[in-house]
Amino acid sequence: MKISAPIFGLMFAFSALAATNEVTLSPVANPQPVLSDLQHKMASVKTVYLEFTQERVLKLFSDPLKSEGVMLIARPDKIRWETTAPYQSILLGDQKTVAQFEFNDGKWEKLKLGFPQLLQRVMQQMSLMNQGKLDALMVDYKISVATGTMTVLTMVPKDENVRGMMSSLEVHLLPDLSATREVVMNEPNGDLTRITFRNEKRDAEFPARTFDQGKPLDIAAIQAAVKNAP
Amino acid sequence: MRRNLFLLVLVLAAGCASTQPRAGHFTRPTNLFPADGLLVQRALFTARGRQFALNGYLALSETGGKRLIVTENFGNVMADLLVKPDGKVFVLRSSRMFPERYIRRLMAADVECIFGGMPKLDCPVTMLDTNHFVLDRGGYKLDLRIVETKTGAQPASMFDENSGLKK
Repeated sequence: MKISAPIFGLMFAFSALAATNEVTLSPVANPQPVLSDLQHKMASVKTVYLEFTQERVLKLFSDPLKSEGVMLIARPDKIRWETTAPYQSILLGDQKTVAQFEFNDGKWEKLKLGFPQLLQRVMQQMSLMNQGKLDALMVDYKISVATGTMTVLTMVPKDENVRGMMSSLEVHLLPDLSATREVVMNEPNGDLTRITFRNEKRDAEFPARTFDQGKPLDIAAIQAAVKNAP
Repeated sequence: MRRNLFLLVLVLAAGCASTQPRAGHFTRPTNLFPADGLLVQRALFTARGRQFALNGYLALSETGGKRLIVTENFGNVMADLLVKPDGKVFVLRSSRMFPERYIRRLMAADVECIFGGMPKLDCPVTMLDTNHFVLDRGGYKLDLRIVETKTGAQPASMFDENSGLKK
């Protein structure tokens, strides 16, 4: 459970970024200029809309376990993480509160969350990252950068206990850092979670109730609104 | 946070231990699930009024048994359980939320209740639909939906108690 916050925070942080082919990469001796450039680019983005495919790759299973969804972010601190298949679930958060909804029997049910503090922490981390405060990551992670036809940030947790659950986190970006293509969370036993992003829309105007923690707007209405955004 | 998690585990354990199981007899229609296959599940686990959304991946093998992997929203494994055809239970991974004792004593029984071949007396399960089950033991409640069914034999390693990460 502990690992969720940094992992999800990182996903959020690099959400402005999305599948990559095998590429040849060269390690960068000093990652700081790349990180600064990335931080600068992220700081100027007000909203992000992304569709994603999440693959849980477990060695035991012959095929990855896939889910589909949408992630929306609005500065300074709002996030909506919605799974659309094979089940429907919405997670909403800001710096102060979190809410989760599950679609059951034709209607959305707001959950009486257990461990809201944990999700709250996740949201705070996400907010921090969305503001481009990558320096905060340096406290918890050793970050290395490799460049080539993609730019890949590899983050290794400094905490041994965290490394016991996640050996590294990779963020795959376009070479100009303008978009994230993939986030990969590697586990020590070889299992991994891969999140592939697509259909990114930046600075789209989100309709009212997009982040409403009482009655969130249906995703279809949001998608209709952002359809023509660049 | 660790303290909160630990407290929850204690509360759950205490609640389960002090709650009289509700007598129930659940007769599942035959051939509802494939003899060999994978069932992807979404579940709401409710304890002491608090809800936890979980994902379940249950591999079924006529000869190998049942392997259940439970994850939270973002993929972290909360429980990994193997129930052999003879009923022997192996806990391959546990977590603070679901400690080994809980998985061995309660989760294994719940799997057998809903997906086992033989109905048991202590199975307070209501089948709301062919893919929707509610198990209410008083101390906790599980609202479980099967969201995807893949038929076909799963890898043999899935049912090998030595193939998991023992914790």
